[in-house]
Amino acid sequence: MIALKIAQRELTAALKDRLHGFRILMLCLIFGVASIATIGSLRGAIEAGLNSNGQVFLGGDAEIELTYRRASPQENDWMAQQSLQKSEIIDFRSMAVARDNSKRILTQVKAVDAAYPLVGEIVLSNGMSLPEALAGQNDLPGAVVAPALMRRLQLNLGDIMQLGEQEFVVMATLEKEPDNFGNFALGPRSIVLAQDLEGSGLLSQGTIFSSKYRLILPNGADFDKAKAIFETDWATAGGKWKDARNASPGAARAIDRLSTFLVLIGLSGLVVGGIGVSAAVRAFVAKKTGNIAVLKTLGATPRQIFWIYSLQIIAYTVVAVILGVLLGAVAPFLARPFLPESLSAVAVISVYPGALLEAATYGALAAAIFSIWPLAQTEQIRPANLFRGGTPQSWPAARYVIVLVILLGGALWGAVQFSGSITMTFWLLGGISLALLFLALMAGLFQLILKRVVRGKALQGRLALRAAVSAIASGTERAGPVVMGIGLGLAVLAAVGQIDGNLRNSMTKSLPDKAPSFFFLDIQSGQLDEFNQRLSDNTEVDRVETAPMLRGLVTQINGKPAAEVGGDHWVLRGDRGISYAAGMPENTSLIAGQWWADDYSGPAQISFSAEAAEEIGIGIGDSLTLNVLGRDITATITSLRDVDFSNASMGFVILLNAAALAGAPHSHIATVYASEVAEIAILDELGQAFPNVTGIQIREAVLMVSGIVSSIASAASIGAIATLITGFLILIGAASASSEQRAYETAVLKTLGATRREILVSFALRSSMIGALAASVALGAGLLGGWAVNNFVFESSFEVIWSNAALIILGGVGATLITGVLFALGPLSQSAAAELRHRN
Amino acid sequence: MVPVSEQNAIDLKQVYLSLEGNAGMIEILHSIDLQITQGSSCALVGPSGSGKSSLLMVMAGLEQATKGRVSVLGQDISSMPENQLAQFRRGQVGVVFQSFHLIPSMTALQNVATALELAGASDPFDRAAQKLAEVGLAHRSDHFPKQLSGGEQQRVALARALASDPKIVFADEPTGNLDAANGASIADILFTLTEAQPDTTLILVTHDAELAARCDRIVNLRDGKVAERSVS
Repeated sequence: MIALKIAQRELTAALKDRLHGFRILMLCLIFGVASIATIGSLRGAIEAGLNSNGQVFLGGDAEIELTYRRASPQENDWMAQQSLQKSEIIDFRSMAVARDNSKRILTQVKAVDAAYPLVGEIVLSNGMSLPEALAGQNDLPGAVVAPALMRRLQLNLGDIMQLGEQEFVVMATLEKEPDNFGNFALGPRSIVLAQDLEGSGLLSQGTIFSSKYRLILPNGADFDKAKAIFETDWATAGGKWKDARNASPGAARAIDRLSTFLVLIGLSGLVVGGIGVSAAVRAFVAKKTGNIAVLKTLGATPRQIFWIYSLQIIAYTVVAVILGVLLGAVAPFLARPFLPESLSAVAVISVYPGALLEAATYGALAAAIFSIWPLAQTEQIRPANLFRGGTPQSWPAARYVIVLVILLGGALWGAVQFSGSITMTFWLLGGISLALLFLALMAGLFQLILKRVVRGKALQGRLALRAAVSAIASGTERAGPVVMGIGLGLAVLAAVGQIDGNLRNSMTKSLPDKAPSFFFLDIQSGQLDEFNQRLSDNTEVDRVETAPMLRGLVTQINGKPAAEVGGDHWVLRGDRGISYAAGMPENTSLIAGQWWADDYSGPAQISFSAEAAEEIGIGIGDSLTLNVLGRDITATITSLRDVDFSNASMGFVILLNAAALAGAPHSHIATVYASEVAEIAILDELGQAFPNVTGIQIREAVLMVSGIVSSIASAASIGAIATLITGFLILIGAASASSEQRAYETAVLKTLGATRREILVSFALRSSMIGALAASVALGAGLLGGWAVNNFVFESSFEVIWSNAALIILGGVGATLITGVLFALGPLSQSAAAELRHRN
Repeated sequence: MVPVSEQNAIDLKQVYLSLEGNAGMIEILHSIDLQITQGSSCALVGPSGSGKSSLLMVMAGLEQATKGRVSVLGQDISSMPENQLAQFRRGQVGVVFQSFHLIPSMTALQNVATALELAGASDPFDRAAQKLAEVGLAHRSDHFPKQLSGGEQQRVALARALASDPKIVFADEPTGNLDAANGASIADILFTLTEAQPDTTLILVTHDAELAARCDRIVNLRDGKVAERSVS
């Protein structure tokens, strides 16, 4: 009780002093808590959107997807019996050609029926309804296209566009397509009626397309039961089931991973904020040593002292956390206009108490973890030591260390629960801890080095530099918190910049040297010879590789459901490209097993990717059941190959012997290596000769992927900047905390005859030295991280991105220099006599 | 001042004190043997750096002796834990410092009341007001230390040290930061208030010969050792 009373008195006095000394502590907490609350609220908004709008995003209650074929009459009957309404969509890639200027680009075609859309609304630019637009004009069917396609083909409304052999009138541009959420496509969207493609040559047997059947189930239908019935009745049909509970699993997965990552980045900001809290509490305790000494003299027990000052920290923390949570709750509303279209269409912006509670918990834990040590240290020290101006140095009592360990464990457990990923949490927080430890060690080492330097003769006659070095060496300028504070943010920025730069370099610079110019898809067997002939006649073409292409789904491994054996491995997730070969293809690198004979016609055999096999846990002798075009083929793995995807060349995870698949309807794919200047001409020639063949220009695809990588890098950079802002708060706090000492030092130096310029240069030097140290260590850590990720994760070469490196150094030095100079101006303008009198 | 009893308020036996300095360990007190009778007053005098304030701190339990036995009011405080020492000081020990050491965020009344609250007094603020009146500062009870003059601050410090009628009062250069007039006034208040409680022992450190002469006994320290003792 007495502790509470004394704490209240001190708090009242602090309020009158406008919380001087606590502003940085509160700002660090407010910002850290607000960041996590904002990220958590946005994640909640997107999850809520996905969950509540599942039916709209899916375009129905359920969807059955088939590859390579449309549903059989029996299957159609089954769907008609199980549902109230049904709609068929055929999704495939093709080349869209502008008739007037012959420009051609890749487009993702959605061929629909009259029932589409079952749910949700397709919004067109000119206010037309979809049936109106698809009805077309002048005896030509209509098409609705994405604005990007209009731009690329330089089309106007009413112009003619060709898909395969069929012409369409472009009737409208697409504004909103709700059932396309989270789907990745290489080309912009075109929507046409499926019946209008019948003369186009695009949907012949063997062409790669997927047919999706959207169903509206009876009211109150049990999704689990419906799925179970489907899995039983369609066991060998090779179809995939999706329902409105998880309408876009790929997007949901991506959003989940990204938000987990951002939450953990937000946590790193709070960790840095914790450093600010710790520095503020230490400064607070140091300022209160006189009071603590007096209270001990008057008979206050160590525990009472602990609680007098802890209660004050708790009060500030509560206020800061509340403000941070309020800010975080409001931020998504303010951010809504700036969200990307794809997210703002999904997100249900609201107040999410769970996310706010999570942020508040983290804030409280951070404050407790980072303040308990300096507060606990006050227990053991004797009053006389405090009267002499000593500050607590000893370890706190064992019970506080135990409490600290428990709090740390609690924080870690909380991070795992809220992020949902043990691995990512441990890697990221472990990395952050190591980085902070490394930064602290470097700061300590720097101080030790400077202690030696200042004793030497090198600095004699250089007052400004010697004063700067002495200030850092003696600890008057607290390098540790500043280096850790801004160093971590700079290190993350450096690592992200190096990884992003190297990845984009390898994609846009070195990849084109190795990658083909084109992938051509849907080459019919009857077209293959002419296709090859045309290319071999072209002197600009270096090399052509072709392979038969089918798509199939791995349904079983060794007779058991594939997912049960191999988990969520990407090869088992959805249908895959499959090929066959008689003789072993050129440049094949067999790792294990034996290739079949050229004329082998026995039980089906598979040559599987060695890396994927190891990841799934299968090998030579294991059997896989593949569903291809609705038929099951069971084959045994008899060899393992090295499949290299890094050079974007043709690579099949699954290759079967020729006899196993040659009879199945299929098309062929080709990779073409040609000189860059000839690419457009090649695309035009082949497009005109084979309108059904789709050509994907690798250069463009790489640019698109490169853009996606950059977006991810930008998101990570934003997270790093949030951490950096907290670091700057620490920087300001440290400068503010040392302002009294600077004022005294300035006064004494003035009495000794130092000029204002010399004193200002000294302050600038010490700030720059600390900034340069932080930036250098951060850059080193960033380069190491960048090298490690490029080498071990992406398995690509690494070179230093110098522009990023320079930015990091300039940023670190610039920030500390500006702060240091700004905080020096005040003391410089004060009268030395007044300061010295105040001290006495 | 006539001692009430022959029981020792302070009993030091072979007390040493060494402290860590920038140049290593420094021996501040060397083989101190000293007994001070309860109810008496004792001045510790000696040149600067002789260890007077450090000896006072050891006796008050504010500093721990490196070696030897320190007995205060019959209790051995040599190796008493911090918790126990704090409780021991409550209500039994009062300390006055040269630099006053008032808590800047508390008013004069609150500074005095804090000592009484820690001692468990049932009416701390009433008693604090009374004590402030005794030192002539009833009209300044709601002022903060920065609003008080040096003399006034020291009077508040005196009131705080004597509020719970302690058995021992330690005063470390109580007039050191004051002008002559204020110093004399403080000295008068100090002796008046302590003499009003016959059991109270007063131990003070001073450079002021006149102040030392008012004590029953003068102990002279030189280089950390007791050089001579005399009665005034």
